[in-house]
Amino acid sequence: MKFLPLIWRNLARNKLRTALTAGAIGLAVSLVCLLLTMPSGLDMLLNQVASNTRVVVHNEAGLVYPLPYSDLQKIRSLPGVVAAASWTWYGGVFEVEKGVTFPNFAVEPEPLGSVWADWKIDAKQLEDFRRYRDGAIVGRATLKRQGWKIGDLITLKGTLYPVDLSFRIVGEIPNERAPHFLFQREYLDQALKAAGRNLDTLGIVWVRVDDPARVAPLMAQIDQMFKNSEAETASETEKSYFASFFSMLSAFVTIILIVTGLVALCIVFIAANTASMSVRERLGEIAVLKALGFGRRLIFATLVAEAVILSGLGGAFGALASLGFTQLLHARASSWNSSLGPLGSFIVTETILVQGLFLALFVGMISGVVPAFGAARRSVAATLREVF
Amino acid sequence: MIELQDVSRVYHRGADEIHALEHVTLHIARGRFAALMGPSGSGKSTLLNILAGLDRPSRGSVVVAGQKLNDLSEDELAAFRARHVGFVFQFFNLIPVLNARQNVELPLLLTHLGKAERRERAQTALRVVGLGERAEHTPSELSGGEQQRVAIARAIVTDPEIVVADEPTGDLDAKNAVEILALLRDLARDFGKTVVMVTHDPRGEAFVDEIHHLDKGVLGDPAPEPRA
Repeated sequence: MKFLPLIWRNLARNKLRTALTAGAIGLAVSLVCLLLTMPSGLDMLLNQVASNTRVVVHNEAGLVYPLPYSDLQKIRSLPGVVAAASWTWYGGVFEVEKGVTFPNFAVEPEPLGSVWADWKIDAKQLEDFRRYRDGAIVGRATLKRQGWKIGDLITLKGTLYPVDLSFRIVGEIPNERAPHFLFQREYLDQALKAAGRNLDTLGIVWVRVDDPARVAPLMAQIDQMFKNSEAETASETEKSYFASFFSMLSAFVTIILIVTGLVALCIVFIAANTASMSVRERLGEIAVLKALGFGRRLIFATLVAEAVILSGLGGAFGALASLGFTQLLHARASSWNSSLGPLGSFIVTETILVQGLFLALFVGMISGVVPAFGAARRSVAATLREVF
Repeated sequence: MIELQDVSRVYHRGADEIHALEHVTLHIARGRFAALMGPSGSGKSTLLNILAGLDRPSRGSVVVAGQKLNDLSEDELAAFRARHVGFVFQFFNLIPVLNARQNVELPLLLTHLGKAERRERAQTALRVVGLGERAEHTPSELSGGEQQRVAIARAIVTDPEIVVADEPTGDLDAKNAVEILALLRDLARDFGKTVVMVTHDPRGEAFVDEIHHLDKGVLGDPAPEPRA
């Protein structure tokens, strides 16, 4: 501790250089901390959007392959299944010339309120959805984007099926991020029959399970039930289902983390260069200290401590700045927000703060070791001869 | 106090061998103020470095303050210097970011003294060299003579037996040079320090007890001089 004032004075010797180096390290640590929030932020986001009692069942060959519609009844008959509903991709396009589209699915209206109870769709709107064959329930995100409101009439042009369908909007999914456009399967079925075709398949089945503990065995039971059938199934939790849509983002995160690692490496070089310059400028002073009796270990320790303190201060500043930034975003939007997107979910945790600080200290240590080692080993007499 | 026996120092510069000192035998008794004089490149500073424990001889024996320096490791030599030797350099070599008192305190950081005690001793050393009132000034706020006084205070603050001074008047005007020489003489005469000074300054001859002339690494016969 008694050497701290000496270390501190040396750090304050060239204030601009010290500030710039600490700033560079702080910026890098801040960047690393923000990026480290992404995996846990995505997980938190998935937990927010995905129910732990909802399971999705699709064709094992992939989402684009259909399942027999009869599978839905078989699944509903299993113990533990509270409700099940199918989604069949209609592929309707609004304003063909502009290519306006959104995820639109044919669904059974009766189980809608049970399977997606967490969506909290207004009871009256659910009732209207059941009552009107051409009714549609639309996610708030799509409603806002298209400027629609309940009661509007719209027509979608079929791209997968040779039928165009006109709908009246009878309800909304009250969630800012919901893009869905759901309508009665019966409506599509009748339109296809009129065109001489049958709707005997479905895209995926959503299953609401009565107990989270029963989810895993039920998924296994469903897949076992359809094993060796013409269309084998693959069941997964809703979280896992959504996670697959984030897989590209995960790869992106991996790339960003690699780039961040490289940035951190660059910062090591910058800090090492600063430490080297600082030591080079003070070779004479270091030789004098050695002449006064400062041993090699002490010289080495004070120079490394100097680099570590500089880096630690920069890192602490950067980590706290990233914490403040994410807290600010979180205060504005705790989860999804139309203007901030998912950013409110990315929080710098205590663990990330500690990781950021350790990174900074590690950078300081690495950057300080080489010049400090060189200075400590240098002969006093030779340095005094060269410098003075 | 200082016993060098048949000391030689050879440097290697590429394929060349430079004989900085050759068979130097030197004895300086406790409390003496000795000057090492000679032309540039005669080996004065090399000899000073060796007897102060900054450099090692290629051959021969060096015993200072009862300690044979040949056998000491780098760290032991550093500890020896901290305990027994005070240094004064030509260009003062104060740490520019520290004030006078903090500069003087530096060697005391290597002791077990507490902060208050270190501060008190540094202040005392500054008073001894006549700079008690300038303790809070940084080197850039002090004149050359004052800076050299601070360097002398730093050299004596640990109460070493030996003070070595390498051209202590080389960067000073005549008035300050005389004052510094007188101060070094007082350290030997009044405080019993053994002071060894490398100098070109002929004014130094009037202050020292003995002069050792070096030429091409070879020590001439000692020439005791009366103090002024």
